[in-house]
Amino acid sequence: MEMTTMDHFLLIILSAFVAYLPRFIPLRIFASREIPEWFNEWMKYVPVSLFSALVFKDLFINSRFQFVGVDNVTKLIAAVIVFAIAYRTRSMGLSVVLGLCAIMLLSLVL
Amino acid sequence: MKETEKRWLTVLKIALPLCLSYIPIGLACGILLHAAGFNTILAGLVSVLVFSGGAQFLIASMLTIHSPILSIVTMLFFLELRYALLGASLSQYIRGTSRKFLYIFAASLNDENYAVNYLKFATDKEWKPKDALMVEHYSLLFWTMSNVVGSLIGAGLKINLSIVEFALTSLFIYMIVMQLKNYLTILISVLSGILAIIFMTLFQSTMGLVVATLLASFVGFLIEHEVVKKGKRSKLLNTIKPRASRHTISRKSKVSEES
Repeated sequence: MEMTTMDHFLLIILSAFVAYLPRFIPLRIFASREIPEWFNEWMKYVPVSLFSALVFKDLFINSRFQFVGVDNVTKLIAAVIVFAIAYRTRSMGLSVVLGLCAIMLLSLVL
Repeated sequence: MKETEKRWLTVLKIALPLCLSYIPIGLACGILLHAAGFNTILAGLVSVLVFSGGAQFLIASMLTIHSPILSIVTMLFFLELRYALLGASLSQYIRGTSRKFLYIFAASLNDENYAVNYLKFATDKEWKPKDALMVEHYSLLFWTMSNVVGSLIGAGLKINLSIVEFALTSLFIYMIVMQLKNYLTILISVLSGILAIIFMTLFQSTMGLVVATLLASFVGFLIEHEVVKKGKRSKLLNTIKPRASRHTISRKSKVSEES
């Protein structure tokens, strides 16, 4: 099934909608009332959990939702490199650029 | 007049590191969107309207495997739910603004400009909601431009997409590293990753990401709650690397409020 430009346009509009609601509703609600403490305490761990889940998905799961073990050895090594760079430099830009360089070089070598 | 000119420049300087790191990621995203069949105008449009690296990479990768629109949008919804947390935590700083301001502010809020703004709000008394909005708009401008250019590059060159996708993986790794503040967060990070693999292979869908995230963060909350309740200094909560992150600052500000 090929999608037309119109399908893509529809997709963008729907995406914008689902991207907007979670951004707006809490702003609107909590601009006028207090957030319960326990909820805040729980939500504190959401970013690290979410990003970890996303990274593990990129490294260990293929597009058919199968576990691939250590098949993506280039990605795994590059990920370790990015981790080290991010930890030492604390720079978003350097992490991304050097990460791209690392995976390019590694995929030439391996 | 001169005063306002200075202000936009000051804010630009604060937003610039973020804007510059958006360039490689935006280029990568534009290339992927082109490969997924988006023309350049659509790539620009999606960058303005959705304005989320994760979401746009997801759209691109799901389109290339021919997922139906509805399942892409459902996935996006679960991915974008995390923005609820960003909005909730910034809301205390933008109280007293008009509803119109909230509408506009929400539209271009995302992970990265949130991090910049939260830090500024927490540390700089002079930081006003309209400065925060300006940061959002600078980052939006750089993001959209990079996506458009990336889309044009994608049209002209053949590029290995699996390499390009790693730009976003790198960004996520960077985000994890910035969140790691004690041994407990490392534990939760690994736990969440393992749960993600289990639930995604189990459900055969990215819903596994949401379940893993909610479970792992809840476990983090429970463990911290237990440790704090017992009242002894646990090794788990020892800081591993001091830094001026939004968490450190929010914790400090809580302490200073109490004292």
